[in-house]
Amino acid sequence: MTLETSSVRPRALSWSAALRIAWREFQAAPAKFLFVVVSVAIGVAALTGVRGFTESFQKTLTGQARTILAADVSARMFRQPSAKEIAGLNALHGVERTQVTEMVSMASTPSDPIPLLVSLKAVDPSRYPFYGAYKLRPAGTLRTELMPQTVLVGEDLLIRLRAQVGDSLKVGNSSFRIAGVVEREPDRMNSSMGIGPRVLITQQGLAASGLLQPGSRAGERFLMRLNPDASDVKGLRAQVEKILPEAQVTDFREANPALTQGLDRASSMLSLICLVAMVLGAIGVAMSMRAHLEQRMDILATMKSIGARSSDILRIYLLQTLLLGLVGGLVGVVAGFGVEWTIPLLAAKLLPIEPTLRLPMRAGLAGLGTGMLTTLLFCLPPLLDIRRVKPSLVLRRQVEAPSEMTLTERWQRRRMQWVTTVIILLALAGIAAGLTSSLTVAAWFTAALVTLLLFITLLARTLLRLLRTALTRTRLSLPSFVRHGLSNLYRPGNQSTAVLISLGAGIMLILTVFLMQNAVLRDLQETLGKGLPNIFLIDIATDELDGVSSLIAKQAGVHGAMERLPLVAGRLNEVNGKSGDELKQQKVPRHLLQSVSLTWSDTVPAGMKVHSGTWWTPGAKGKVAVREGLAKRMHVTVGSTMVFTVQERRIPVTVAALYENDGQHVFGRSEFVLSQQSLAHLPVVWYGAVHVDAPQIPQMQRALFAAYPTVTVINIADLLDTVAGVVHQVTMIVRFLAAFSILAGLVILASSVASTRFRRIREVVVLKTLGARRPRIAAVFGVEFTVLGLLAGCVGVIFANILTFILLHRLEVPYRLQWVAAAAAAVGTALLAVLTGWLASIRILGQRPLEVLREE
Amino acid sequence: MIEVQGLKKSIHNGTNLVEILRGIDLTIPQGQFAAIMGPSGSGKSTLLGLLAGLDAPTEGEVILDGTPISHLNEDELAEIRGRKLGFVFQSYQLIPMLTALENVLLPFELNGSSHRTGEGRARATELLDSVGLADRLHHYPVQLSGGEQQRVALARAFMLEPPIVLADEPTGNLDSHNGEHVLELLLRRHRESRTTLVMVTHDPQVSERAERRIILHDGLVIKDTATATPMAVTEANCDS
Repeated sequence: MTLETSSVRPRALSWSAALRIAWREFQAAPAKFLFVVVSVAIGVAALTGVRGFTESFQKTLTGQARTILAADVSARMFRQPSAKEIAGLNALHGVERTQVTEMVSMASTPSDPIPLLVSLKAVDPSRYPFYGAYKLRPAGTLRTELMPQTVLVGEDLLIRLRAQVGDSLKVGNSSFRIAGVVEREPDRMNSSMGIGPRVLITQQGLAASGLLQPGSRAGERFLMRLNPDASDVKGLRAQVEKILPEAQVTDFREANPALTQGLDRASSMLSLICLVAMVLGAIGVAMSMRAHLEQRMDILATMKSIGARSSDILRIYLLQTLLLGLVGGLVGVVAGFGVEWTIPLLAAKLLPIEPTLRLPMRAGLAGLGTGMLTTLLFCLPPLLDIRRVKPSLVLRRQVEAPSEMTLTERWQRRRMQWVTTVIILLALAGIAAGLTSSLTVAAWFTAALVTLLLFITLLARTLLRLLRTALTRTRLSLPSFVRHGLSNLYRPGNQSTAVLISLGAGIMLILTVFLMQNAVLRDLQETLGKGLPNIFLIDIATDELDGVSSLIAKQAGVHGAMERLPLVAGRLNEVNGKSGDELKQQKVPRHLLQSVSLTWSDTVPAGMKVHSGTWWTPGAKGKVAVREGLAKRMHVTVGSTMVFTVQERRIPVTVAALYENDGQHVFGRSEFVLSQQSLAHLPVVWYGAVHVDAPQIPQMQRALFAAYPTVTVINIADLLDTVAGVVHQVTMIVRFLAAFSILAGLVILASSVASTRFRRIREVVVLKTLGARRPRIAAVFGVEFTVLGLLAGCVGVIFANILTFILLHRLEVPYRLQWVAAAAAAVGTALLAVLTGWLASIRILGQRPLEVLREE
Repeated sequence: MIEVQGLKKSIHNGTNLVEILRGIDLTIPQGQFAAIMGPSGSGKSTLLGLLAGLDAPTEGEVILDGTPISHLNEDELAEIRGRKLGFVFQSYQLIPMLTALENVLLPFELNGSSHRTGEGRARATELLDSVGLADRLHHYPVQLSGGEQQRVALARAFMLEPPIVLADEPTGNLDSHNGEHVLELLLRRHRESRTTLVMVTHDPQVSERAERRIILHDGLVIKDTATATPMAVTEANCDS
């Protein structure tokens, strides 16, 4: 390397010369920089994958908006339309319309009479769907395959009922022939009911089944397509909203606002998890950079002594850092596409549509940019330290810097450290804000991450120090290889603390997710305890009620009498004299204005506690009890007035009581309980609830289905399985991404081994010269890595439990220490660490001693 | 006894094949103090390394007390080294994470004797005492001066009472006073236990005290002379 000199003093090193030197160094030891590149790549890959996936998903959503809706405009409501409303729809000009009815019901095959809960969807195949197409097996169209006497079913139904295409399926009172399997449903995302396998049926078929009664829990969707000459979607939507005031009206331009919002939120959350991996990787990079620069000390001193300025050297290593960030980032972006392709495999059930995956530029650039920026940020401290290298180092290798610093120097240095820290924090918050589009979330994230890292660092340091103290006390009584292995943790240049922090944080993430998932599911499981209802019966007609009740009572394994809940569908019109838009402004939940389930009870139902006011005496009229939480939101207290409408009839009531319910009885979900008189002579359906011992449930279902095929049975255990399945998929993705943090930790470990390679080789050689065999040396290294892994595991376990404790406390779910999970995490980390450590030292173990000694 | 037959060693230095040793034949009887001399690059250290089985020769054989070692694997070599050899390096090569006492104990423990640490510890303490470091037992290498580190290394080399001690410029990194001290300790060991001592050195004053001087040049032995009364010289020097 040559530095051009002018007559007075050396000119500044040009950027291109700096780049050349940086690149040469990079070329000279590519293996050394490999870990740095991988550290950067890990975080970038995770981030690119997540954002690439959401971007693809978003694009698919907007690209297929009409298909997903199967219409231009859709109106959804939870009751049958009145004649007046139908007339209004009929009067719409230039519009084609079709009706889709969705409900849950029971279905069974003759060979297996235990009925299965299914999601029934009734359509008119001559019109539906307006956009998109069904994919059927055997191949066909709805128009040719779906007849009044046939059904099309989801693959899972065939599996669970052990049925085949061509078999007969009993739905309600009628039997249908299974004509084929639905492989793809364009508007599945907009289904109202998500429980159980799909059964597609014609509207005539549904009518024949006798399932649809006034008051049945069914969702109605009116799909509308504009004729090509009248393409005013906005106008049509406004008209429909006027005709059907209770309906949720959407048009294709919205592309499912709830889903889009949910997707944004999920994308933000997952991006932050990726950012954690990225920060951990960056810490690793900074450690490697520091080690690299320390090894370069004499060269830096030499450069300074021949006239290079700090800024020249800074320029070289700044470029080198950026270069490493760029290479790592590019590798990460490429790997990110692999991550993007993995996500749908992990979360197939969560995804309402199959996104067309592509290589989105924006996600790639976001990943690359974030990766480079984070790398640069965390490398600032070691880079800025370059300025402190003194040329005298050329002459004396061991200069003790701290003692030589004057007070001003020390103060300047501390100020510099603070400034750097503030810059890093602000920039990190900026990155988080960019990823989440929310300053608040970004600020919280940064604060939480920094606090956590501080505490983890503190714990890691304390553990290392404690171990060292213990080692000093006991070292000579320890077996020699253990003593030696433990001592190795304190090898100069070892990045034990960094390894502990990064591995520990990764373990913490994964374990927290696991502990949360377990605690919440266990809590759900436990509420299914004995005696409480575990079977819910839906859509019992009034004339069936006593029959169903006595049939249930006769079954084996049934405890107690069936709880009954009458339901009347209506909507909320007025609260304290205010109605319509005024209520919307008061933040009264919008769905109440569209559709609300009313029930009655003249006594306090099981599982309810009156918090204020008193329940009315039997026979009273015009009274209502409101769930306390909802009352607060609506600004309703005892004595407030409300008006409900049921089938055009106004029902004015006064609030008599506010209650809280335990959610475990049949009244558990009710929001309004009226006095019986208020709802007299209105169409009503009944829900039932009862506890049946698990082994007797199939038998009970069979008997009930044989006698009352239109009554739907929901087994809470099945429902819990569904919930558990969804929770499982969500946590799979989170764990998958959290695993990148662990990977970052392992790479830091490998890189720590690599950066102490020379020291390790020398140790190995000396040991071999003294007569050590390879197994013995491997054992010494093994102890070092095992203990490091165990310590990291402990750090992770401790913080995961603290975090879980706090989160569960907020969810009001009891916390329990899970010893097995904790031990498994610690041991697992140790195994990973040993494996990584050994892999990184294989070449070190095989060294022939003389080659090394000759290098002296 | 060390026997060397037709020993050759070449290494690939980037693109070139460099012949470091080009055919060496030697016999060093038990109890002899032999100094290996020669200019830089003549192959002294390589020869010493091959004697210790620290690398495999390209051709030829090294026989330690009747055992040919050139074709043993790493672990078999390690065992031989542990039993027969003590090795002293120019730059001490103590394990930095272990104390002086632990460094000295290492060969003992590596020899599978860890269960007798108590006995080993007594020996190691005694050895450190004999090299004048009784008060430095629990110091780490960084806390010791160069001379002290080399004396720890000597104690380590003597720990298993090996019949052969190989030393690669043991005084090369030390000032004359410390160098003299270290040399004296090596010679005392050689005298008292009749160990074979093979030492690579640049220093003619050191080699004068050897019983035999082997001079290498370009990978060949060009001179191999016995000195008259080495012990007398040594003692005379000591007295003066």
